[in-house]
Amino acid sequence: MSQHQILNPVDHGTLRVHTGPGAQYGDDTMACLTVPAEFRRVQAHFPIVFRRDLATGQFSALALFGFEPGENLFLEGEHWDAPYRPLAMSIQPFLVGRPGPGGGEGQVHIDMGHARVATGGEGTRLFDDEGRPTPHVEAIAEMLGDLDHAHREGVSFFAALERHDLLEPFSLEVALDDGSQHSLVGFHTIDEVRLAALAGPALQELHATGDLLRIHLAMASLSQFAGLVARRNARIRAR
Amino acid sequence: MNGAVQQVVIVGGGTAGWLSACLIAARLPTLTVTLVEAADIPTIGVGEGTWPTMRQTLAMIGIPEPEFLRECDAAFKQGSRFDGWVDGSAGDSYLHPFTAPPPGDMRDLLAAWQANGPRQPFAAAMTAQHAVCAANLAPRQRAMPDYGGALNYGYHLDAAKFAALLARHATGRLGVRHVEARVTGVVADDRGGIAALELHNRAALPGDLFLDCSGQAAILIDGHCRSRWVDRSGESLNDRALAAQVPVAPDSPIAAQTIGTAHEAGWLWDIGLPGRRGIGCVYSSRFLSDDRADAILRDYVGQRVPGADPASLSPRRLTFATGHREHFWSGNCLAVGLSAGFIEPLEASAIVMIELSLKALAENFPRSRDSLPIHADRFNALFRYRWDRIVEFLKLHYLLSRRPEPYWQAQRAAGSIPPRLAECLALWREQPPSTWDFPQIDELFPAASHQYVLYGMGFPVPVPAVGSAAAGAAALRDVAGRARALSAALPDTRGYLDALAAAAPTRFPQHESIPS
Repeated sequence: MSQHQILNPVDHGTLRVHTGPGAQYGDDTMACLTVPAEFRRVQAHFPIVFRRDLATGQFSALALFGFEPGENLFLEGEHWDAPYRPLAMSIQPFLVGRPGPGGGEGQVHIDMGHARVATGGEGTRLFDDEGRPTPHVEAIAEMLGDLDHAHREGVSFFAALERHDLLEPFSLEVALDDGSQHSLVGFHTIDEVRLAALAGPALQELHATGDLLRIHLAMASLSQFAGLVARRNARIRAR
Repeated sequence: MNGAVQQVVIVGGGTAGWLSACLIAARLPTLTVTLVEAADIPTIGVGEGTWPTMRQTLAMIGIPEPEFLRECDAAFKQGSRFDGWVDGSAGDSYLHPFTAPPPGDMRDLLAAWQANGPRQPFAAAMTAQHAVCAANLAPRQRAMPDYGGALNYGYHLDAAKFAALLARHATGRLGVRHVEARVTGVVADDRGGIAALELHNRAALPGDLFLDCSGQAAILIDGHCRSRWVDRSGESLNDRALAAQVPVAPDSPIAAQTIGTAHEAGWLWDIGLPGRRGIGCVYSSRFLSDDRADAILRDYVGQRVPGADPASLSPRRLTFATGHREHFWSGNCLAVGLSAGFIEPLEASAIVMIELSLKALAENFPRSRDSLPIHADRFNALFRYRWDRIVEFLKLHYLLSRRPEPYWQAQRAAGSIPPRLAECLALWREQPPSTWDFPQIDELFPAASHQYVLYGMGFPVPVPAVGSAAAGAAALRDVAGRARALSAALPDTRGYLDALAAAAPTRFPQHESIPS
């Protein structure tokens, strides 16, 4: 259950959080949100797909870790088997909060109901004995700032994708070594035919905003599906 | 093969004997290893602090770290803190941590440290371990691989339980044969070496190589080989100790380092384990009566151990001679442990000398009787070098003191100072200790150890400054950053060991069952 608090040394002076990877901390997830600003780093390791939120109708981008709910093929016990961990995972159990509805300067909030909040003496402290933020909190605050900025920047990216109708539904049939089939449905990817057909002012606009590069990064990321299938097959063999 | 060295016989079942048995059996599995001990001889069990080398030793003989920690009531040791050694004033304290200063030229680091201002302790400038020790934190997180840590560390342990664990491991997993019998005599071979051991009520035990781990009795190296004892009590003055075990509360903090506190005629050790603190008073009988030593010990416990009752203690009295064999290896007999030599445990050199002896033996194991004399000569030269360095390094702790008591003046008397140490000290007024002073591999106390003691005790930095503060500053900033990060990320030692104990039933369900 979520339980958000503004991070502060009075309430959280001796609190510790678990910073390492682990299923027990909620890392056993098949995907996490990713923002266009980190596409370059994400596409080097994970497929990037798009999903329309049924409630808001808005698109968002996801980094894929597995083929079914709860499956994370990059999580090996307490080891994250990739050189990069997306921002949305790295910042857990913290989030950006606003002092009131309508905005204001972002604040560091912590979800006290998150499994990463430690109850014993292990984990990383958030404040030192003098109440100063620890290097971990400094790093988190920086990541939250990046993420917040990237979210706002992302709004125009997704709007551009919709405006030019560049997303198409995507389904993937995966045949695994043990003969089983997986189908991945409900996601979108870049419509490469429509992208290739773009010309003139539309193309120039996407290029000028940097969105064209992000679109290509997302397209390139799909080659990571082969790696994901290989990881899944390796797990089947290990069983 | 005629003259092959195949049968290794170890005499004595203390830490030295069982550690030797484990190391030989693990590293040289084609040999036959037999350990003979008399059931009625108690072990001394003084060595309760190890060096970081113990992690590699345990990994090599195949004991998982959680098992070792639990079975030996062990805790982490990240160095030694010396209280009251400079002048005995309030706040007189410095740390000799296991983690070395950052890489780089010590002359630059010294200049940068001096530029930081005079108040920062040398060790605090040079390693994050200073802050971690001050907060009683563990050097590692439980999720880290066995025997790995964020900082360099060894252990504090219950020596009796350690010997018992090694014995179970040696006989149960490494195939060491255990013979319980008293050694009553030696059957000599035709070269003056040992052919077999005569045992009480049993057949004689033949062997090709014999390890004397019989402690102060030294029944082979002294009793048979007659290897001369080299007395070092002229340099190392202490000859007695009172040892006590003081129970502690289950939630009390566990110190991250050995604490050595100077007193009027010696010093006290204080070693924190989860359930007890081992506290002892080391002294020179020439300067202190046993009764006064007893009072000093009880006074310390009363002041430093919350809730302890000093009157209830019954300290054990130990008398020791400081020195070592002239020949540690004689014929086909090698002395390991207290039979080889003893010096006060100021820098916990006892167990590491066992490890180093076995390393030298295992990596240069004689394959034939013919090569024994060559190995013996090399071993004897190397370990004479090591004993000389230990004597000198321990002496350094006393030389830099300004304490006025007669004992401390005697410790600084010119006649008691090894000439090589006096020479080094003259050099260190012009340049910091370096590998030029300690060129061997596996030096017991490398330049870093000497730097921590020298500058911890206020030895003057070479003037005029011989290094560049700018060049050293970046390294010291990294240390400060790392100290902040580690202080936040490491659990405290008590919490770590509690969590380890709590995790035991789920990890090893076959060992424990909880009645519902």
